[in-house]
Amino acid sequence: MSSPSEIKKGCVIRDNNELWVVTEFQHINPGKGAAFVRTRVKNAKTGRSLERTYKVSESVDLVDMEYRNMQYLYHDSTGYTFMDSANYEQVTMSDDDVGDQGKYLKESLDVTLSMYEGNPIALQMPRKMKFKIIETMPAVKGDTASGNVTKEAKVDAGFTVRVPIFMKEGEEIIVNTDTGEYVERA
Amino acid sequence: MNMDLEKIKTRSVIVKLIRRWFDERGFLEMHTPRLVGLPGQEPHLDPFWTEVFTPSLTAHRSSFPAALITSPEYMMKRLLAEGLDKIYDLGPCFRNNEPWDGTHDPEFLMLEWYRCEAGLEDLMCDTEEMIRFVFHELRATGYTLRTEPFRRLTVEEAWREYSRIELAPLLENREAMAKVVKEHNQTVLPGDSWDDLFFKIFLSEIEPCLGKKVPTFLYCYPANMAALARKSVDDPRWAERVELYIGDFELANGFAELSDSIEQRARFEEERILRHKLGKKIWNFDERFLSSLSKMGNAAGMAFGVDRLVMLLTGAKSINEILPESARERFEEQLLDGRL
Repeated sequence: MSSPSEIKKGCVIRDNNELWVVTEFQHINPGKGAAFVRTRVKNAKTGRSLERTYKVSESVDLVDMEYRNMQYLYHDSTGYTFMDSANYEQVTMSDDDVGDQGKYLKESLDVTLSMYEGNPIALQMPRKMKFKIIETMPAVKGDTASGNVTKEAKVDAGFTVRVPIFMKEGEEIIVNTDTGEYVERA
Repeated sequence: MNMDLEKIKTRSVIVKLIRRWFDERGFLEMHTPRLVGLPGQEPHLDPFWTEVFTPSLTAHRSSFPAALITSPEYMMKRLLAEGLDKIYDLGPCFRNNEPWDGTHDPEFLMLEWYRCEAGLEDLMCDTEEMIRFVFHELRATGYTLRTEPFRRLTVEEAWREYSRIELAPLLENREAMAKVVKEHNQTVLPGDSWDDLFFKIFLSEIEPCLGKKVPTFLYCYPANMAALARKSVDDPRWAERVELYIGDFELANGFAELSDSIEQRARFEEERILRHKLGKKIWNFDERFLSSLSKMGNAAGMAFGVDRLVMLLTGAKSINEILPESARERFEEQLLDGRL
């Protein structure tokens, strides 16, 4: 048994012989109450979603998963396809299951898939990833004086992120994939 | 490096506007001490402790433990008891062991104000007027505050509306509460208190709906959930406590303050037992606070998260954007990189 504070996106909780995949979680401290973890969980079999709140001091049955190193291949109408680096077996995850993290996926990126009974349940990305800026406004004299120290930049994977005003097109940056925020110049 | 200078400048303007609103209405700003020997007892809050050294001590000691306040409440109430009325305090407060999740930072700006001979109605009016004043003076862009009045909903009404549960018959009845909580697909453990069960439904089904369309005051809490509040005169099963929800934030928490020192001592005892049960540090009650309570009269006070108002009005997604450097940025990256 584990503490709810170990709950992360993509982990699987067993409750009354049913498996629930955590799709969202949030630590809550209602101030005048104990600490809680509010989760949104999806039934692995029926796909039904519900909100469930755990006290941090209770214990949950987190299912042991099999972790496999995979390489990202391509995205099509069926979802995201990965290949097991050890045995070349291919696995596809739906857009829903991959969720917002899909935007970080670049061809041949090494990731870890959490598997349960042969099915991919969750995707783990490297925590820090390098991207190249492909589009951003050049810094204009006076920007920092007026307080604009960050600006939007589009990167090679297609998403936008706020970067310091001095960054230029073609430069490489490190992004934290947990928070989606700029960390430093690569 | 997630700071946004525009938002940091707006934070400064908001703090000035809040002070102006209170100053213009005859409130006096108190600068209560941040460092105290006996901090708040609240069982679910953890103060930061430190050791104070001074050559000036007369007792046979050169140092003693002290803590940073989690709220200026005790000192503010002592000032009321000394005869002040309409006072506010706006400054940093400190809470250890909180999640650094984008809405919390271990040091944050807290506003508290108190008035004598007042109740929840006064607190709700002050809060709504002050927020409207800041919103209009600032011409805020991150949030649209409509002209319709803030919604006022009792806890009982909220349970009825969002969970279709009649809460009154469940008050102080853990068995009945456990049955309902189970029916609502939540876990129930033998160790869960009535409050824990309350929160499992409240946080899952009710809180996420509050304040989304219209700012909403939630008031009249079950009596056992308000450690420093008076019980309602009309119905002692409920206590005079209010919270304010706007957008994604819980912004404020206020009480018609308990002024019965015997009852306060009993609640402190319960809290100390709970702290002990939770394996947390315990310390002596603040006797100066307890003995001043009876002189305080029927006062009411509100605690208000200034940083959350700044986030709301600037549209910041994370507290990290409105602080020069959040704790997460100061410590976490460096810890991961082995520099601390």
